[in-house]
Amino acid sequence: MTVVIGFEGSANKIGVGIISDGEVLSNPRRTYITPPGFMPSDTARHHRAVILTVLKEALEQAGLKPADIDCVAYTKGPGMGAPLVTVAIVARTVAQLWGKPLLGVNHCIGHIEMGRLITKSNNPTVLYVSGGNTQVIAYLERRYRIFGETIDIAVGNCLDRFARVIKISNDPSPGYNIEQMAKKGTRYVELPYTVKGMDVSFSGILSFIEETVFAMLVETTERAMAHCGSQEVLIVGGVGCNQRLQEMMGVMCKERGAKLFATDERFCIDNGAMIAQAGWEMFRTGRVTELEDSWITQRYRTDEVEVTWRD
Amino acid sequence: MATETNPETGKLEFFLDVPFPSSREATIALRSLSPDREPRRGGISKQLSVSGSTLSVWSADEARILRVSVNSFLDHLSLVVETMEDFGPPVDL
Repeated sequence: MTVVIGFEGSANKIGVGIISDGEVLSNPRRTYITPPGFMPSDTARHHRAVILTVLKEALEQAGLKPADIDCVAYTKGPGMGAPLVTVAIVARTVAQLWGKPLLGVNHCIGHIEMGRLITKSNNPTVLYVSGGNTQVIAYLERRYRIFGETIDIAVGNCLDRFARVIKISNDPSPGYNIEQMAKKGTRYVELPYTVKGMDVSFSGILSFIEETVFAMLVETTERAMAHCGSQEVLIVGGVGCNQRLQEMMGVMCKERGAKLFATDERFCIDNGAMIAQAGWEMFRTGRVTELEDSWITQRYRTDEVEVTWRD
Repeated sequence: MATETNPETGKLEFFLDVPFPSSREATIALRSLSPDREPRRGGISKQLSVSGSTLSVWSADEARILRVSVNSFLDHLSLVVETMEDFGPPVDL
């Protein structure tokens, strides 16, 4: 039995999760609802204030003591610098206090491994869509290859900025509120649709509605599937909660005879257990991170990591 | 804690000695606080070291950059200390 604790705080969510051989024992999380004009240091301050409480909750809810943990995983990057450092400092400290090995995890790979665990998909083409990231990913020979990505801003960032322009509330998240409003919409307005081969662009078209953005993502995902001969799609990342996106992707999958996988808001939104899960996979192939190498990094591409745990 | 201008380099220097209950805990703090690079590459140089059970910090440069770096360090240090209070003492190796 291998038990891994995971710490995640690269954006406005702070989560600590515990995984034991594929079972999520606990996954508490807090979200910093950003006021207008917030700074990364405000997010770091929020995480700083609650992280030790969330850590205690994770242990209590799992019914475990530190001695039961085999490995401490944390988000090495990508993400916002100040929050990443805050979380990494706690992870390093408890790893040393408890005498456990440390493991730096790529945030995007955390999403992928959680999606694979929960949905039990075999080898899906992955659409990773969130406030900070938009990538179409396929696994090939020990790397999560980025087949396509945004050439400017992430789709979630685009939706968040649109929400700000039309003054929608940030509580619980701008994207959620856009989705609720869009459900009542009846008129489709044709807007610039920007796909360049495998890539997408969102910055020129901030007066967005979901149909156009999501259609662009479905197109590039389909292109990656065709390229890889894949019959499975997995959507991960906070924007993956959006049911319209899942619906539209589902239509494309049905047309191709492919299967669509997605997780619910517990796991598609940033959480600690996903870092624990990726850490669990890495730890079992003998990977650890030495303290001197445990620095965080705001840029960390998904394909920089050698995926030693898959064939 | 002390700040003074080094007459040779003209740079501001800041010294801080932090006592810990043991040298093991001072070393844990050192290893938690040292891996990340300063956000601004230029203009700041920080050195952490442990002697006995004291963590010493030394950094040098212009006042505004120094102030930001020191504030940040003190926030992180207090987080390490609080974590140690809640989850320490360190296990026997």
